[in-house]
Amino acid sequence: MARSRRNVLRVTVFVLALFFSIGTAWAQSEKPLRLGLTAVVASENLRFFDRWAAYLTKKMGRPVEFIRRRSYREVMEMLEAGSIDFAWICGYPFVQRREPEYLQLMAVPIYQENPLYHSYIIVHRDSPYKTLDDLQEKVFAFSDPDSNSGFLYPQFLLANMGFHVERFFRETVFTFNHGETIEAVAERFADGGAVDSYIWEYLAEVKPEMVNKTRVINKSPPFGFPPLVARRGIDKETTARFSEIMISMSEDPEGRAFLKELKLDGFGIFAPELFQNIREIADEVKKARPWLSGNNRK
Amino acid sequence: MMNIRNWSLAFKLPLAFTALVAGIAFTIGAAIIMQDWFRFREALEEKALLLARSAAVNAPAAILRNDYWELYKGLKSASAKGIGGMRDEEVLTSMVLNEDGRVLAHLYPSDNPLGMPLQTKNEADRAFLSIALHTTEPRILRGRGFIEGVIPVFSDEKKIGVIRLRLSTVELVAQIKNGALTTFGLTAILVFGGSILVGMISRRLLRPLTALSTGMEAVGRGDFPKLDPAIIKEGDEISKLEASFNRMALELEEKKQLERELSANEKMAALGRIAAGVAHEVNNPLAGMLNCLDTLKRHPDDEKILERYLPLIEKGLNRIHSIVQGLLGEMRTETADDESDASCLDDLREVALAEIGERPIHLEWGNQLSGAKINCKRVQLIVLNLLKNSIQALDGKGSVRFRSAQDGPCLFFEVADDGPGVPEEQRRHLFDPFYSTRPEGTGLGLWIVYRLTRSMGGKVELTTSPEQGTVVQVYIPTDATDQDNVDWVI
Repeated sequence: MARSRRNVLRVTVFVLALFFSIGTAWAQSEKPLRLGLTAVVASENLRFFDRWAAYLTKKMGRPVEFIRRRSYREVMEMLEAGSIDFAWICGYPFVQRREPEYLQLMAVPIYQENPLYHSYIIVHRDSPYKTLDDLQEKVFAFSDPDSNSGFLYPQFLLANMGFHVERFFRETVFTFNHGETIEAVAERFADGGAVDSYIWEYLAEVKPEMVNKTRVINKSPPFGFPPLVARRGIDKETTARFSEIMISMSEDPEGRAFLKELKLDGFGIFAPELFQNIREIADEVKKARPWLSGNNRK
Repeated sequence: MMNIRNWSLAFKLPLAFTALVAGIAFTIGAAIIMQDWFRFREALEEKALLLARSAAVNAPAAILRNDYWELYKGLKSASAKGIGGMRDEEVLTSMVLNEDGRVLAHLYPSDNPLGMPLQTKNEADRAFLSIALHTTEPRILRGRGFIEGVIPVFSDEKKIGVIRLRLSTVELVAQIKNGALTTFGLTAILVFGGSILVGMISRRLLRPLTALSTGMEAVGRGDFPKLDPAIIKEGDEISKLEASFNRMALELEEKKQLERELSANEKMAALGRIAAGVAHEVNNPLAGMLNCLDTLKRHPDDEKILERYLPLIEKGLNRIHSIVQGLLGEMRTETADDESDASCLDDLREVALAEIGERPIHLEWGNQLSGAKINCKRVQLIVLNLLKNSIQALDGKGSVRFRSAQDGPCLFFEVADDGPGVPEEQRRHLFDPFYSTRPEGTGLGLWIVYRLTRSMGGKVELTTSPEQGTVVQVYIPTDATDQDNVDWVI
């Protein structure tokens, strides 16, 4: 009696475990891969990203979704928490968050034949400003506090000039979007702004009437292009597969069409050292603001 | 300057009606426009507040976070044209200010930089700014050309800023102007159409009146027109008036016809009377003379009879002679029409003095017509007859006065005496021919005066009383044409 009861229990546990494992496996295979988008691309183009997601879903054999958040920080936190699997982020958060090694570089976009881009300091076309120095006591627009081109680089320039952002400008704003930074300058809401050269040039074709109202007064040295990263927790096979799909897009007409719309040449595998100079200027800025050193989250 | 009272009714009536219609239409139009204005403005004010509120939704958090870009985007979206198809009104400006009046966001950032105090252009702008900064309740400000919605922004009951949004009233004014134009256009059409209609009606109404007035004038001239029966066919008051006018004209015409007939009859009667008078006057001496002749025939050799009867025959013939002379003189003179100076009347003075002779009769002579042209023969005969009458009426003593003068459009002659006057019972026969109160008179004097005066279109007035004697006044119009046909009304 007791034995048979034990057997029944065993069978029940076994059956339950079986169901549980099948369910988990089922769920695993059907759980969408989520890719976080940030201000590094013009993510407002919803229909394009829907088509691209469908393409990637087809290639991956499982659903791929794009997730949008306002700031890098939100996307980074989601990546850290595992609620997204991949993200297209800026080089600055990448170098900031490599220390705990929870990020894995997956692919770097190739733009105008190189995996590189610049930071542009822009002003209104009709304004008299010629250098960043002229913008003292003016209103300046940054894109995101975690953006290399939109915040770190101008900070670095000011640090070299011996200034702090908060004291150099009269007012500063964060638009959390390179496009909006251009808009703010074009409408003279801000006297100057710092933007991603890729976005500026992309929008110069898409929205010339807006971008033509701005003028570049400072072009940074080349930086590693904002990369696609994967969280460490995700299995290597999926990451490799996704990386492979991204890289092979340039060999496939459909993929090339997407790349063309993104105005990119393709994606490639590059060493994390590509972002070394971003890490260096981040260190420079920290040195200029010693009270911030050690404020390297985690 | 034309007096409005003298204007034709055909003009005054439509004018009055037009003024009335225009006044009513204008008043109603103005009332509608005013109502529209208030209603539209109220709607615009609500919109201004609503839009300011929509910009205020995220404002507290954005202000606290210094997220000016967010504030600016909020303003832009609230100020975007045609948002949700809600309006066409133009947002003139909108802004978020902090409690010190510094710009946190402005729809026109290039002119109103972030973080700087808001630039005000004039006193009115400063006043609006002050009101906006001090208000603790959403409110509406009305300015020149705009309506401003003001929403204070609070966080934890502390005022941290204010949102101001101005809507242009240009569109509103344009709408009202359009409305006004339409209304006044309609008024003008109404007034124009109405005045034409009333003009037609009043012409229709006045046509019989005009005809009536023309008819009356004709009656005044002595014609008797009959009004067109076509315009009397309606049964209204005017038609009744026309009908009575026609009846009156008809009766007047009949009366005149009757008078004409009567006058012709009387002419014949008068002619008969004169013929009878002449016959009678001639017959009396003739009978005496025939008697004398008969007696003389029977006693051809009787000297005594011859001596007695021949003077009688002579007297009779003289009498017949003077009657015929009088009639002939009148008839000759009546056709005389040579004009000469009025001084010819002075010749009569000698004639009158000769007539007076040695008798103690004083003659007063006052001919003041020298220079005027008169029909000398006729007037002389008139005055001479009157003078003779007066001298004879005096019974041998007294005074006779002659005066002549210009009296307005008439020549005036007066002969007066201070004799005993004409007894009451004789007065009505004074102008009858052959009526004489003296045995030697022919009775033709005053009759001749009357006929000659009438032949020149004049009139004779005779006043007589025992106390003041007799005054005869003759008026002859200077512009009178010869009345060839003398009235025989005697």
